[in-house]
Amino acid sequence: MTAEVYHRYHIPTAPAPDAANHPSRFVVRVDRLKLASLLLRELVHYRADLGVVLSRPCLYGVFSGPVGGFAPRSKMCVGCLRCTVQYPDMVRVLPNPARRRLGDRYFTPDAVDTVLYEASTGRVPVRGAGYRGPFAGDGWDGLWTDMSEIVRPTRDGIHGREFISTAVDLGWRPDFLQWDESGRVVGDVPRLVRLPIPYLFDVMPSSLESVELYDVLAAAAARLDGLAFVPMAYAVGATALGGHHVAPVVRRHEIDRAAGSGLNPRVAALDGWEPQAYRRLTALWPDALIAVRHGFDLDPVEAVNHGVPILHLVADYHGRAGGRFVAEALRQAHDRLVRDGSRERVTVIASGGLTSAEHAPKAILCGADAVALDLPLAVALQAEFEGECRAREQAALRLGRFDHAWGVQRVVNLIGSWRDQVLEVLGAMGLREIRRLRGEVGRLMLAAELEQEAFAGIEGFGGMP
Amino acid sequence: MTPAPHRLAVAKHRAALRAGFAAWPEREAPPAALGDYRWTHDLILSTWVQAAEARPPADGLEYRVGRSGGGFDRLAFRDLGPSAALAPETPIDTSLALNRRGDGPTIDIPIPWYGAGMSYGSVSEQVMLARARAAQRWNTFTSTGEGGYPESLVAYRDHVITQIATGMFGVREETIQYARLVEFKYAQGAKPGLGGHLLGDKATVAVARMRESVPWVSLFSPFPFHSVYSVEDHRKHVDWIRTVNPRALVSVKVSTPTDIDMVAVGSFYAGAHILHVDGAYGGTGAAPEIAKKNIAMPIEFAIPKVHRYLTSEGIRDQLVVMASGGIRSAYDIAKAIALGADGCILGTVELVALGCTRCSNCERGRGCPFGLTTTDPELSLLIEPEWGAERLHRLYTSFRDQLCEILRRLGLRSVRELRGRTDLLVYRGDGSGPGGDR
Repeated sequence: MTAEVYHRYHIPTAPAPDAANHPSRFVVRVDRLKLASLLLRELVHYRADLGVVLSRPCLYGVFSGPVGGFAPRSKMCVGCLRCTVQYPDMVRVLPNPARRRLGDRYFTPDAVDTVLYEASTGRVPVRGAGYRGPFAGDGWDGLWTDMSEIVRPTRDGIHGREFISTAVDLGWRPDFLQWDESGRVVGDVPRLVRLPIPYLFDVMPSSLESVELYDVLAAAAARLDGLAFVPMAYAVGATALGGHHVAPVVRRHEIDRAAGSGLNPRVAALDGWEPQAYRRLTALWPDALIAVRHGFDLDPVEAVNHGVPILHLVADYHGRAGGRFVAEALRQAHDRLVRDGSRERVTVIASGGLTSAEHAPKAILCGADAVALDLPLAVALQAEFEGECRAREQAALRLGRFDHAWGVQRVVNLIGSWRDQVLEVLGAMGLREIRRLRGEVGRLMLAAELEQEAFAGIEGFGGMP
Repeated sequence: MTPAPHRLAVAKHRAALRAGFAAWPEREAPPAALGDYRWTHDLILSTWVQAAEARPPADGLEYRVGRSGGGFDRLAFRDLGPSAALAPETPIDTSLALNRRGDGPTIDIPIPWYGAGMSYGSVSEQVMLARARAAQRWNTFTSTGEGGYPESLVAYRDHVITQIATGMFGVREETIQYARLVEFKYAQGAKPGLGGHLLGDKATVAVARMRESVPWVSLFSPFPFHSVYSVEDHRKHVDWIRTVNPRALVSVKVSTPTDIDMVAVGSFYAGAHILHVDGAYGGTGAAPEIAKKNIAMPIEFAIPKVHRYLTSEGIRDQLVVMASGGIRSAYDIAKAIALGADGCILGTVELVALGCTRCSNCERGRGCPFGLTTTDPELSLLIEPEWGAERLHRLYTSFRDQLCEILRRLGLRSVRELRGRTDLLVYRGDGSGPGGDR
């Protein structure tokens, strides 16, 4: 008798505080002369009642150091502004100019902050007082997800009793199954690799690549039961840590090297599309699902017609894909496959421009089956941007020395947080599994369309282009 | 055990804060870190001015719109010229009838707005009292939210909406019987599809007692009502209220999904008097960041959708539509009505009037450093109910005066004439579009 083990997918998050110094959000400046004057006045007024005189306006410890407000601890400031509201002439709270070097125009400092919080704690960011940002915007900010007033699964169950599946299948399935007279399946059968999470790890920016970094990603993928794409040059070492959670990414001229590598992956990727190279790689690893990693200019139907089971479509780090935003490019690729009748025969993985937890469900709504993360993983490890980071080969980032175990936990925490957040979205929509989200554009709200519907007829409204 | 508040220290801070609320709008530059896209520093400071002086600021602070780049911030009222305007002192009717079904009591409020649900626990009892006193003074309403019904509110019960939310905190026969208006909260704009959140640090002993829960343990309310999976189930909810309290009107609070128009019709046929549509950009309580802007649509888009569909179904004049979720100014109220709402529900703007800087730390530790969204015994003393009620009274006065002024400029004698008049709006594009009165 086989012993059955109960297993429920769970991501083991644990605190992993920032290792490198991260600039605080605010800088607190105090006019020391005015503070001294205030203290003297209060000493007299309150007859030296130190409980009153030393009572400070800050709840967060900014003025609770050894010399109080004479050396404010900006690191602890949360920007509530109570001190400056109370003492306009004495205290100033300023946005920290050092934060400008965090991220770039696309991966904004606030997004960096959020990823660092998620990587440090593994928790879902929760704050009060509603939304603070622009009404809508370009890219992902022009899309909203739907919700349902009366739904199952219930909110109190999504992190507990009730189960929402975030599992995705990578691979190929035939349009239909065939059986012989005795009931045995004949002909093509699905060839699938199931992952419990829709987040894969993409290859890293060239400026960051190292054995140590891919070791972390491979080990994190193993811990999550996920999959890390790793360039062939690093795959052998990373496989030692990640086992079958590593998918080597092979360039055409590396196929011979791959042949001598001893690797036996369950998933691998050909970097670029070239039918002959694809056939060679397929022949080399006949048991593996061979993906094609390519920009969005690839005709997906052509690749599917060559039997490619997984398309990994990649935009740049700002989400641009040949003049389109990745969301639009994904919708077009998905639509092309649907119209061709071949959508179920291929898995689409999207990369590029995914910097926040909400981007993943939006990408899946636009037609991806799963996403492969790039820069957020680097940011989780506190990589610093040096200028605009758009293209993988040119993006300049810097990563300090880090401890392997710390790095693995940071990545695990990030994915734990993002998974919990996608559960919130699925719960609000009333969906029990993320596979049902794919291409479900009826549950996607486009800001431009909604504005057209709401404001058409109002003088001056030009409508959609 | 929580130490007793140091009342002299509290008084010191209270005085300094009030001086600061008065001083900042007068200064040349706002606090450097104040404000965001929706609530600019000008909007926050001008709300403080209105709460102090009962009139909008006259020194150039922008008190009408933010700079979110969309929705209300892109809309303005048409300039119809002096010939269309009514004389400056022409009386304007801003009243709103809350029951148009003709099946129960009549409730008219003199202004087309009332206060949003903010629970005991999410805000202090002092704040609830301030809001209740202001509501009583204006003969309008405030709402319990879903945290129970503090005993001190009973004296104001004719002006307090009892909210029944999925957590059912503090919902008892007597709290339903107190109310002239009972609200079912199916969903909320701040976190559509999720239930209320009260994090552990704010679940004090007093809050837990009120909610019959365990102190210092986070409370995540369910979503949705486990007893409601259809319009028929919803109808049973309404019948339940009518059985317990036949004199109460029933409001249904929902968020803004794609099918909000169908939800509106369903709510009507379930027997609701008021449909409270809560858009995605409001909210005062703790919410996962991912839920704030990514789930459901802003109120500006939901109002016309609901208005038009109810009109096409021939039931628009029987259902009162109240809009909330990002109503910041008198101009937002007027624009929401022009888009098709009957009135609005105010939450965040009331807290800003009481001193909120929108720092978003409501859920953290002891709660709000300004004594608003907290039940910390010392911090909550920063708000004195009478002071708060006076601030809200003056804010309401300013809002009503501005609403009357807008209506006079448009040549309308009643706010009811404004409903659905999108022909009186202009779209400002990126801000350089056609002119008009914001």
